[in-house]
Amino acid sequence: MTALVLDDVSHAFGGRVALDHLTLTVRPGRVTALIGLNGAGKTTALRALAGRLRPAGGTARVLGHDPADLPADVATRFGHLVGTPLVYPELTVTENLRCAARLHGQSVRAAAPGTSAAVAHMGLDPWRHARARTLSMGNHQRLGIGCATLHRPTALILDEPTSALDPQGVVLVRKLVRGMADDGAAVLVSSHHLDEVARIADEIVVLHAGRDVGRLEPGGTDLEQRFFTMVLDADTRAADTRGRV
Amino acid sequence: MSPAAALRAALAVEMLKLRRSVVARLATVLLVVLVPLGSVGMVALARSPQAGGPTAAKLADYATGDLTTMHLMVCAQVLSIAALAAGGFFVAWSFGRELESGTAGALFGLAVPRGTIALAKCLVTLAWIGACVVLTVAVTMAASAAVAAGSGVGFRAWGGVGTALVAGLLGGGLALPFAWVATVTRSQLGTVGALVGVVALTQIVVLLGGGTWFPYASPSLWTGMGGPDAAAVVGPPHLLLAAAVSPLAIGAVVHAWRRLTNV
Repeated sequence: MTALVLDDVSHAFGGRVALDHLTLTVRPGRVTALIGLNGAGKTTALRALAGRLRPAGGTARVLGHDPADLPADVATRFGHLVGTPLVYPELTVTENLRCAARLHGQSVRAAAPGTSAAVAHMGLDPWRHARARTLSMGNHQRLGIGCATLHRPTALILDEPTSALDPQGVVLVRKLVRGMADDGAAVLVSSHHLDEVARIADEIVVLHAGRDVGRLEPGGTDLEQRFFTMVLDADTRAADTRGRV
Repeated sequence: MSPAAALRAALAVEMLKLRRSVVARLATVLLVVLVPLGSVGMVALARSPQAGGPTAAKLADYATGDLTTMHLMVCAQVLSIAALAAGGFFVAWSFGRELESGTAGALFGLAVPRGTIALAKCLVTLAWIGACVVLTVAVTMAASAAVAAGSGVGFRAWGGVGTALVAGLLGGGLALPFAWVATVTRSQLGTVGALVGVVALTQIVVLLGGGTWFPYASPSLWTGMGGPDAAAVVGPPHLLLAAAVSPLAIGAVVHAWRRLTNV
């Protein structure tokens, strides 16, 4: 069973097409990376998959259900970090994680050890009693990832999870994502960092102008060149199509 | 996760956010300290031999009668508006900032549904504003007793306690429609603007003589803010209409949060 599905999804903001008949699936135990230029539609795709956006066409499914209205037992197995994390600036690191645990369905008793484990896993121990508003951008991002993953979801969506992280944080997130996938989770990650994507992804989907324009093999040293070639080919095909019309 | 467990979790989270909220802390202090001080101070000013001119004319109603009764009457009049303002600012922050900052997007796909989170926000708002109203009236009574220096609180003053509590609670409940405004406008400042607009509209409605059936005017009129004649025509049906606003608003807000999209 596929854990994360976008099936023929289209959406436009005003007259600007954001997603154009995009179909995407992520199976359990796999890390799929979504890469593309700014405005390619990555975040819109992830928002549709998180239920935060009702696409104009097509369907999104998380663990077989409409993500906008997940049953509680399914929601406890789902995690996402798209844009602003579930982090409140007035709460401390520990309080934010505890709140996230409760909202992910954990009892008071289960939330306490889960919170401590997340603090340790995300390397946030020195800041555990610091208000989130005082954290650096990188630690804020670590906290957001901790809040999205502390319940060990089996379907996970992460949008640019390493954008503000230092090399140590990047390694930490890489291990987290790989570890969760190895435990059977389906993980969809969007990123601009092609090197990073190459290290963690089992499959790379190239998104351009809201469309899936092809797949890249994660291995090899020329990922950047293959990416730009694919994007250029997509632009050329689109120009030819417009010319014929 | 059962609906009751989900509500318990949402209440715990929202209570913690309330405790850490600068808006709630400021509003609590302003209500609990300023309203009693203002109540006692205005009656003292009305009875001061130095009072004269337009101030004395405006405060003439407070210049005679039982001291504690007058303190509580002023408290009721101020509280009916102050509780609305405090509650309005709080819901503008509580609901509006989630949508402005983007944390509302992170509230999707959780075991605790968005509608339950919205309900918890409303319940926490009501509990907080209710506690503030009770505390404000209690502090006013204590301040009044101190000023009256042992004359005690008579039967009529106990009636004033009830009026102040009801006026404050009704005013606080009237703040909940602004949670819906915050959800729809997705703006804290927009919500505060709507609050200011409704207060101005209330003034106009009262000036036109139609405040009895206007929920935002009837609690204040009932406390005597518009004079004894205006207070006399406000009865239980008018107050019940004002009381019905908050449950209707809760229903609208929960529905709006369930249907939330493009976040």
